[in-house]
Amino acid sequence: MSNLFDKTTDALATSLQMRQIRHSVTASNIANAETPHYHAKKVDFENALAAALDMEGTQGLSTTHGDHFAIGSKPVTSADIYENPDVAVNNDGNTVDLEKEMSALAENSILYKSALQLINKKMASLKYAISETK
Amino acid sequence: MSDFLSGLRISGSGMAAQRARMNAISSNIANINTTKTPEGGPYRRKDVVFESTADTQSFGQILGANDPRSDYQQVQVSDVIHDKKAPLLKYDPTHPDANEEGYVAYPNVNLMEEMTNMMQATRSYEANVQAIQATKDMALSALEIGR
Repeated sequence: MSNLFDKTTDALATSLQMRQIRHSVTASNIANAETPHYHAKKVDFENALAAALDMEGTQGLSTTHGDHFAIGSKPVTSADIYENPDVAVNNDGNTVDLEKEMSALAENSILYKSALQLINKKMASLKYAISETK
Repeated sequence: MSDFLSGLRISGSGMAAQRARMNAISSNIANINTTKTPEGGPYRRKDVVFESTADTQSFGQILGANDPRSDYQQVQVSDVIHDKKAPLLKYDPTHPDANEEGYVAYPNVNLMEEMTNMMQATRSYEANVQAIQATKDMALSALEIGR
């Protein structure tokens, strides 16, 4: 089965969605950096995304014929949000490390933009293919 | 589902909370020598208490959808507290607010403490501004997909 938007585009779209969630979680940690008893939250999606995309090709069944269905690769739709356990607790019970959160924010923002760039390149190549006969 | 508006709301709540804190600090610094208040006695140092609340204003949640956004916490000022520390007594028998022994009760405000709190509030405010900038950048570049 051939798709106009392949597995890579799906993966990039999911990664954008997850980065958006991580961004909100980081923003929430920054806003609550001085709230007593607030515990910093964390999102993990890289492993789930890699498993769902079957990067190693170990979980899904391979398709050898055009009519075969690809099995084992499901898009990740929910991220795992949990309280970050490996942090120091402040005197007021707060566990936010503002420096870490700020760098996480910058990192996440850069990776979000790089995923966007990749999607844009994909779109550009599609556009190029579409407009080639002109 | 998640959107960038929740990020903006959360950072906005952080900025509002830090601004409220700045107001309390300004009030403390401005009233560092105030000996008369409507409640009687010298000015008492004020401080704000922060509290985290779930972000419930999302579109999905208003519509009653099962929205994971309650994991995101906004911050709000839950209370303004008055410092219980005893006032500073200075000997000045000519002052109109002096007691029988000639001592005047001055506010328990420590200027150094207020200045460090002010710096902390400013930095936290700036951190929230940074977060808003990042949110804005990401949202705007997402609008450029396929251009």
